[in-house]
Amino acid sequence: MARSKREIPHYYLSLDVDLGPALAWLAETNLDRPPATRLLPAALLLHATARAAVENPDLNGHWSEDRYHPAVGVDLGVAVALRGGGLMAPVLDDAHLGDVEAFMGRLRALVGRARSNALRSSDLGPPSLTVTNLGDQGVDALWPVIYPPQVAMVGFGRIRERPWAIDGMLCVRPVVSITLAADHRASDGHAGARFLSGIARLLGRPPAEDPTAPLRHSTRTRMTT
Amino acid sequence: MTRETVLEAVQRAFADVAPELDVRSIDPNAELIEGIDLDSMDFLNIVTALDQLLGVEVPERDYPRLHSLQGMVDYLTKRCNEAR
Repeated sequence: MARSKREIPHYYLSLDVDLGPALAWLAETNLDRPPATRLLPAALLLHATARAAVENPDLNGHWSEDRYHPAVGVDLGVAVALRGGGLMAPVLDDAHLGDVEAFMGRLRALVGRARSNALRSSDLGPPSLTVTNLGDQGVDALWPVIYPPQVAMVGFGRIRERPWAIDGMLCVRPVVSITLAADHRASDGHAGARFLSGIARLLGRPPAEDPTAPLRHSTRTRMTT
Repeated sequence: MTRETVLEAVQRAFADVAPELDVRSIDPNAELIEGIDLDSMDFLNIVTALDQLLGVEVPERDYPRLHSLQGMVDYLTKRCNEAR
């Protein structure tokens, strides 16, 4: 952590996203399913992140020998808190491939292996991007510290009901804050903002929804260095 | 099905999903997510284990009723006996 903050010139962006359409799709999808095949909101969030990373290569790769090396696929590190203390980030390789169903199955198996101390060597490969989801711990947003030699990290806070304006009308929507920590040597704020907007776009368009449907994510992006 | 049988199933589900927790020492009224540090994946795994042990599929809309150990046993006992 100290090395990360010493060597990496971090910049931070955040974006609030209305998850109403995504969660409605999820509730309907899970309605007739036994628990063994249900999907979690975390699967939607992380899958969207992996897919958006493919379109934003400046955030998905490694910094070494004074230059940036973009990754070919998205090997997504997933920060997993271990009960009894400790944190690890096993990897879902090629996390951008496949649908959210397959992603959920892989995520569930990976977290299970991490918590039962049964990770495989393939789970421990170097991630090209890491995600941390602290939503269950009740925080609204988090500001991650990048794991070198990666150049970005994405954080999700809890999904909470917030007042939200749509077409001039005030309503209450389930909202998540997405934050991005990125390495200013590999990308700039513009690229970072495009990445966050890409995640929001994918989350605003659940798998079964018309791809031409209007987007309902916020464009309020905040930047700090 | 008796409340004791359901409690045993709940204890077994917790032992499978979070073996480091001593379920007998958990305050029966403690919040499961915030109070004893379970996350949504743990919770889904417990609900899945209970489905396999008791044959009760808990719909997502009823998750709030499983907020504590006590609530979980109350809810499952009722569901098991309704199904008979």
